[in-house]
Amino acid sequence: MKKSWIPVFLIWLLFTVLGLALVMNTSVMPAQYSEEAHHIDEAYELLEVLAVPVMALVLAVMLWGAIGWRSRGADREDGPPQRGGKVLIGLWLVVTVSLAIGILINPGFVGLAAVRGEPVSDYVIELEGSQFFWEVTYPNGGVALDELVVPLEKRVRYDVHSTDVLHSFWVPAFRTKIDAVPGLTTQVYITATRTGGMDDDINLRIQCAELCGAGHAQMMMPVRVVEEAEWLEYIDELGAGG
Amino acid sequence: MKYILRGALLAFIGYVAGIWLTVAIRGGSPTDEVAVVFGFILALLGWIAGIGGIEAFGRQWMGKKPVVSTDKGWRRYFEFSIDHKVIGIQYGVTLLAVLLIGGLSAMLMRIELASAGQGILDLDDFNKVVSMHGILMVAVAVAGVLGAFGNYVIPIQVGAADMAFPRLNALAFWLIPPVAVGLLGAPFLGAFNAGWTAYAPLSVTNDSGQILFNLAIIAFGLSSILGGINIIVTVITMRAPGMTWGRLPIFTWAGFSASLLSFCVTQFFAGALVLVTMDRVAGTAFFSPEVGTGLLYEHIFWFYSHPAVYIMVLPGFGVILELVPTFARKPLFAYKAAVVSMLSIVGLSVVVWAHHMFTSGMADFLHGPFMILTEAISIPTGIIFLAMIGTLWQGRLWFRTPLLLAFGWLFNFLIGGITGIFLADVATDIHLHDTYYVVAHFHYTIVGGAIFALLAAMFYWFPKITGRMYNERAGQIFAVWVTVFFNLTFIPLFWVGINGMNRRIGDYPEAFEGPNRFASIMALILGASFLLFVGNLVYSAIRGPKVGPNPWNARTIEWQVSSPPPQHNFTSQPRVVGHPYDYGVEGSVHVVFDGDSPGGLDEHTEEVRV
Repeated sequence: MKKSWIPVFLIWLLFTVLGLALVMNTSVMPAQYSEEAHHIDEAYELLEVLAVPVMALVLAVMLWGAIGWRSRGADREDGPPQRGGKVLIGLWLVVTVSLAIGILINPGFVGLAAVRGEPVSDYVIELEGSQFFWEVTYPNGGVALDELVVPLEKRVRYDVHSTDVLHSFWVPAFRTKIDAVPGLTTQVYITATRTGGMDDDINLRIQCAELCGAGHAQMMMPVRVVEEAEWLEYIDELGAGG
Repeated sequence: MKYILRGALLAFIGYVAGIWLTVAIRGGSPTDEVAVVFGFILALLGWIAGIGGIEAFGRQWMGKKPVVSTDKGWRRYFEFSIDHKVIGIQYGVTLLAVLLIGGLSAMLMRIELASAGQGILDLDDFNKVVSMHGILMVAVAVAGVLGAFGNYVIPIQVGAADMAFPRLNALAFWLIPPVAVGLLGAPFLGAFNAGWTAYAPLSVTNDSGQILFNLAIIAFGLSSILGGINIIVTVITMRAPGMTWGRLPIFTWAGFSASLLSFCVTQFFAGALVLVTMDRVAGTAFFSPEVGTGLLYEHIFWFYSHPAVYIMVLPGFGVILELVPTFARKPLFAYKAAVVSMLSIVGLSVVVWAHHMFTSGMADFLHGPFMILTEAISIPTGIIFLAMIGTLWQGRLWFRTPLLLAFGWLFNFLIGGITGIFLADVATDIHLHDTYYVVAHFHYTIVGGAIFALLAAMFYWFPKITGRMYNERAGQIFAVWVTVFFNLTFIPLFWVGINGMNRRIGDYPEAFEGPNRFASIMALILGASFLLFVGNLVYSAIRGPKVGPNPWNARTIEWQVSSPPPQHNFTSQPRVVGHPYDYGVEGSVHVVFDGDSPGGLDEHTEEVRV
């Protein structure tokens, strides 16, 4: 009983090693189609790695507690009256504060800066949410209601607004999300990095991510990433038609 | 029962009178929202007058002495009783019923989500069920532990005969039935489909059921505020001689901290809903898409609703920290640090609200500060974990149902806390916000943190409240069952959230069908566990073996008086002479009673075995 820290430490080590092996060799994230997705997934994976030893500690105490500290039979004696000294509490604080500061720096501010990037863009696309559809307006004035087509490797600024209630512009494959707010124009920058369409990946879709009424679940629109030349051709056609 | 009937009658008369007056003055239809508003207000006043307000308050205004219910038997549970123990049970039973209704609505949602496409619910009905489920469960989480056990246990733990304001306490409880009637009656006016968050402008333009939601939640807020001030004043002014702040039991500290929050911030939710109501019935334009301010509602709403998370979870911390020393037979580890942590959580929780708005389009410079403040909360929460694992360390763990549920709590809240970091981080939150990841996360914190604590509290204090022991075997089976299937239900939802399924949708792309179906089946088994829970408690309350005052051999004051405690809690004055959790300290005493026999205590503690 005296040396409880040895089994707890060993279980912690085992859980940490297994946990790290698991999170470093598997990815729970869907396929990346944008530069922003790359940064967000990096932040996610870093947080996973940092979470493993913390979780392992609590789990190790719980597991060893259930095995090693179980009171057997009618034995109802009291345990040792440990109340926690200043040193231990201080040490705990130092570790948790350092972890918190570390997480704030990276992925916190580093990740935020990476995802936001510079406020410069090659093209501007306007998106307007209404119950329950999206209207896309391309730089040349072409308007589309059936799909969003995006040029590959070009930084696009999306100017998002809403005509009625809150909506949210979310493309899971791009990972980015910004609300469409009535009376405001909100902006998000996205650089697509891989061609494809909703048939290739269900996450290449705009999904409204803010409860907006009866048709909220079906307020989605396919997204297609194409080469820039093809994209220019597409919007020219749209512009001419409109 | 006659008072309930009188209250219902006066409520009905009030409702009709309010509608009639409105129609008489301004014309229009009796189902106009403005008529419903006045009908609800007069119905609420009629109900309170009828249930006992006339006797408890009205008589005093006429210069007479107030009269309150003094019934002894089961009737007092249906009357305007001012006994804090009766009120605690009233809260507990009422909120348990609401929990079961909310649980059934969850079953309905999981059945719909078991397959892609539309099944038993169409899309809008699904949104309405989601909204109903959300608000009912939020009400249970806010008022469950605090209303039931805060009322029942805190006065005894501090050595007081009752709460500081007993009539106010009764009033706070009897505001709850009209809230339930208002919410559950909303479907007759088209229900509400804007979620429990009721974000404007959707909540300005949807069906008229929204108006009942607004009115019910404003009334619920009033109840929370009154309950909060009562606990605050009781803890400050009613402590027994010797009950210094440093000897205050941790559950009382937790209830006190949560009450500080509910007293200080509840009015913001009510304020936001008043603005929505004004937009709907009085022609104001706070949130109109043309001239309104798009983010105003979210800011006011979260200024209450983030602290509300801690109104739910702090009492949960209190329950778990209260029972772990008893079942580990050790002093509460780092007691002072835990108290300081709870108070710092109270302070920090009111300055983190905008972390719910990282994707809302608010000014970019706000993201950094709110990320810092949010992640700062992990530090006091870490101390709470230290207190728990430090108390367990080398203890003599006595695995009865409350400790099993505390282990479940620890596991769930650990996952809830860790996944919270992913949502506090702006970069990852941009993707995860409003997905099923968030759904899974807040179920881990709120079911894991508040509801598991409520369940543990129900088992822990059951022998005290009923004087009988629950069935231990059934309790243990329930504890394992609910923990395992809770996890099997919600773990897959993290995955579907990460992989592109957003929340509050009655239909989803077929790619997410597998994990959703699995979660649905697990959820139904989880739901079934509550049959065992309710069956165990109801049967044991009637037929369970009788127990003595202190079956857990615990040290706090409520365990030193008879089970259930006598009418005014003590037959002689308690005096606190030591720390409440000095298990294993030779010769230590927490409380002594003036005179010989402490509060009707009989000397022999009856042992109950499984």
